[in-house]
Amino acid sequence: MTFFRSNRTLLITIAVAIIIVFLATRGMSAPTAVSILLSGLTLGSLFFLVASGLSLIFGLMDVLNFAHGSLFMLGAYAGWTIYTNPRLILNTAPLGFALIAGVMLMPIVARKISLPRVARYVAALLAAALVLLSVRDFPLQKLVAFGTTVSGQVVATVDAQESLNAMLTRFALMLVAGIVLSFAWARREKANEETEGTKGTWSRIGAMTGLLVAALVMLFGRDAMEQVVLGTDSNLRFVIALLVGAGTGAGLGALMEFGLIRPLYARPIYQVLLTLGLVFIFDQVVRLVWGPAGAFMQMPGWFANTGKECPAPNLIDWFGLHCDAILVLGRPFPSYRLFIILVGVVMLIGIGALLRGSRLGMIIRAGVQDSAMVEALGINVRRVFTIVFALGAGLAGLGGVVATPFLGVYPGMALEFLLQAFIVVVIGGLGSVPGAALGALVVGLARAYGDQVVLTGIQLPFMTEPFTGSPAIARASTVLIMVIVLLLKPTGLLGKKEG
Amino acid sequence: MPNILALDTIHTFIGQFHILEGISLEVPEGSITALLGRNGAGKTTTLKSIIGLTPPRKGTVKFDNVDVRGRRAFDIAAMGIGFVPEHRAIFRDLTVLENLKLAERKKGDFEKHQGMIFDLFPDLKRLIKLPGGQLSGGQQQMLAIARVLVPDNRLLLIDEPSEGLAPVIIEQMMEAIRTLTSHVTVLLVEQNFRVASQLADRYYLIDDGKPVQNGKMQDLVQDRATIHKYLGAK
Amino acid sequence: MSRKNLPLLILLILLVIFPFALTLVTGQPIDKGAPRFWQGLLIQVYILAVFALSYDLLMGYLGILSFGHALFFGTGAYALGILLKYAHWSLPAALLAVVALTAAQSLFIGLLSLRVRGVYFTMLTLAFATVGFILVEASDFRNWTGAEDGLHGIELPDFISPILNRLTFYFVALAFAVVIYLLARRMVDSPSGRVWQAIRENEPRAISIGYNTLWFKVQGVVISGIIAGLAGALNAMWELSATPQMMDSGMTINALLMTIIGGVGTLIGPMLGAAVLQLLGYTLNATLGAVWQLAIGILYVLLVLFLPYGIVGTWRNHGASWQQVWRERIEKWMGTDQVTKRGSSNVKRET
Repeated sequence: MTFFRSNRTLLITIAVAIIIVFLATRGMSAPTAVSILLSGLTLGSLFFLVASGLSLIFGLMDVLNFAHGSLFMLGAYAGWTIYTNPRLILNTAPLGFALIAGVMLMPIVARKISLPRVARYVAALLAAALVLLSVRDFPLQKLVAFGTTVSGQVVATVDAQESLNAMLTRFALMLVAGIVLSFAWARREKANEETEGTKGTWSRIGAMTGLLVAALVMLFGRDAMEQVVLGTDSNLRFVIALLVGAGTGAGLGALMEFGLIRPLYARPIYQVLLTLGLVFIFDQVVRLVWGPAGAFMQMPGWFANTGKECPAPNLIDWFGLHCDAILVLGRPFPSYRLFIILVGVVMLIGIGALLRGSRLGMIIRAGVQDSAMVEALGINVRRVFTIVFALGAGLAGLGGVVATPFLGVYPGMALEFLLQAFIVVVIGGLGSVPGAALGALVVGLARAYGDQVVLTGIQLPFMTEPFTGSPAIARASTVLIMVIVLLLKPTGLLGKKEG
Repeated sequence: MPNILALDTIHTFIGQFHILEGISLEVPEGSITALLGRNGAGKTTTLKSIIGLTPPRKGTVKFDNVDVRGRRAFDIAAMGIGFVPEHRAIFRDLTVLENLKLAERKKGDFEKHQGMIFDLFPDLKRLIKLPGGQLSGGQQQMLAIARVLVPDNRLLLIDEPSEGLAPVIIEQMMEAIRTLTSHVTVLLVEQNFRVASQLADRYYLIDDGKPVQNGKMQDLVQDRATIHKYLGAK
Repeated sequence: MSRKNLPLLILLILLVIFPFALTLVTGQPIDKGAPRFWQGLLIQVYILAVFALSYDLLMGYLGILSFGHALFFGTGAYALGILLKYAHWSLPAALLAVVALTAAQSLFIGLLSLRVRGVYFTMLTLAFATVGFILVEASDFRNWTGAEDGLHGIELPDFISPILNRLTFYFVALAFAVVIYLLARRMVDSPSGRVWQAIRENEPRAISIGYNTLWFKVQGVVISGIIAGLAGALNAMWELSATPQMMDSGMTINALLMTIIGGVGTLIGPMLGAAVLQLLGYTLNATLGAVWQLAIGILYVLLVLFLPYGIVGTWRNHGASWQQVWRERIEKWMGTDQVTKRGSSNVKRET
């Protein structure tokens, strides 16, 4: 009995939702209703990938990361680039690695040297100048493979890449810039002597070396690597793209948390303002590098067969035929969307397993409730923060790549998915992963249903004519749901934090 | 007896507010020392200043003669200090077992100490699978103390353990704390003077963030005027 | 008039004579060429300065973070546009309607959203602004809003037309900015304004003293919303059109940028921030080309990290001590220094 009382709101919501769904689909044929359901699950799965990270990060660290949608977008673009033609990444990543490796030197520098204030500002300016020098006249646009390029082929102009010597010069400049920056940043109290110790220092040096080696391998082997990737079967390339997207998200997330968000824990409003600034920056960067128009990604081979034998009559047959669509109740439904649903479910199970079955998960669950107490127990919550941030960001990046064969890549995807993720998180409750799943389900179904309304209109019993609207109304409807939930239960349906 | 903890004229600010103005205290190893004072006197802030949750701006905090002021709280705790905060801070959604396992600092801590823990608090064994939020106030207090007994802690900071508990439970808890002192030192904050006087050997009295007096508990018990002035008649 | 206001008065005088001065210097007539161009630039600054000021009232004085401020700005613009173009109202009547409409809108949103705290409120404001943007861009309402193209062809009486009588428009815009600033200053220094700041510093304490903080917060949202709406209406008058850009997140980010650059909670800071942003944007666009917006973004992030109090804020926090150092040096040199105990130092505001 207590179960019903304590979960009252949730049960009422589910009941109301079922009633609404029932009323709304009354006029529809079964295949249409199922199609909407599956589309809703598809969208919901994508929303979940973005929202779960956002929810956990806020639950644990009280940081509302507005740039989360941008991580989704950047993961998508990174995955798309690797899949279509990795040349861009092979030429830019080494520069990024060089800079990061240089900056990582900081705690080691801080132990011996601590420059006076003026010298530090000069060093920072010098580092900035070196960075600008390093990227001067960098042929960015030429390296990008555009949508018109057939996936899996060499970029048209062979000389779109600079000579190896030029690249090595840029690499060296970046490395020096990073080192100078670490001098500018080094201050006595950042030496981390007690927390890092000798073992920590060696692993730091190891990491730096690893980054530099990886960068040089990418530079010297870029032609070979490009051929290898392009020659790979599209499905394998897709898997690589998934990994790269998730990795990009996680890497950027860790960097963001460490470099930008950590300094501002004492000033939470400025943290939020900073993330908003990042949204803007990432948006501009994407527009400058890849252009404002966006692009499509070719469907991986597993989901691309459009021959006579397609659509596949059922799921079992699909495994052999790899059709682009499967017949569901007699109606073709894109097989790739089923894959999206699968990814969402797998991640949900995975996160659940992590949270319930591992020590890290235990720390996270406790930290969502009271991170100060967790710290008082002797656990390094700062490091956990970074890990969780990276995990959430990695999920978002993965979501971006998963979304791309379905929706393509375009700069607007950051803000669009961010907003939907917000709505999901508010409905489901900040800090709760099951809540994010539930919220994603609600929002996904609402959007799918809303799109159907746009297409054919709905006819409620008391209407003489069906009610149609533009897609705008559908998008606005999810916001409306969020407002209602916020007013009735501000902590969300399954929220763990007090609003 | 050497001092396991020594504070020297610490000043702690919360935002703009100057909460602690020159608090000093010494806690001999193996003793129970009480920190007394009115509501809002700064007792909780003192504990938080020691563990590093509200680091002092000035002064020194020496644990085992090592100055820990300015270190992160998890660093300080890992040196062997356990914190039992006001209102227990039990993780409501974690089970009793998870609450205890979370407190491990080395693998096997819980196995090593669970005998002692369940001897002190037999009820916890029965409740081991329940989520912390379903425990009563007294049981939560037991769990909060049990939690800091999981790792090898040498100093326990206990904040208002008797708050909101029934007298019978308070007795049980006091008994448990008394048993502990054979291998841990306790710094106890208590507004309930009866509890404090029956547990502690020494006391420090503070008011408005400033030190008032300190000494042996048996002396304070006779000093009705001071008790009345700084602690309200109890 | 206290000494503190002297710099502002001087600035005002400079701004008033600026168009004439420019004419004299360049030899071009006042309604053509460079003078005309610069009047236009400054008009935009005045409009945005008022918008930024309205944002500062919320963020700097009440401590409320809104990510949907563009909603009020855009509503003012579209309301004016629709009333003038389709309903053929007179200009004064339309402006009054803008005040009423934005008041009602902000009252509604305020009452609804302020029931929840902190980030939830911020997200709600973003949600409302997004709904507004979606509706204004939706093809359903093309007949009224012009959908994604916007509403164009607003007609104003000749005497105030920005094309025919730009100088008049210049002084109208300047007067508008000055009047709003004075009103805001009055409000902030009033007892209500002090309650606002108390709420920003420590709301639970304000409640325990007995203030109905919800009412004061709603009051702030409404006043801020009306000012933003009027700025939007003036913007529509300046551009003779209302476009979805006036209601999108970029507009809100602009307000944020101006407030941060200038200094939160200083009133005059965000107005200066508006000037800096406009001029900076123009210069960067000329020198860097397409990358200029990225540069502004990076500048913003750097400001948030290292100079959170903005130009005016940092000046007020540290300027006094610099002034002090210089004053002491001069006095020492002149032999008139005294050993006086400095009683006041600026209390650093924790946001």
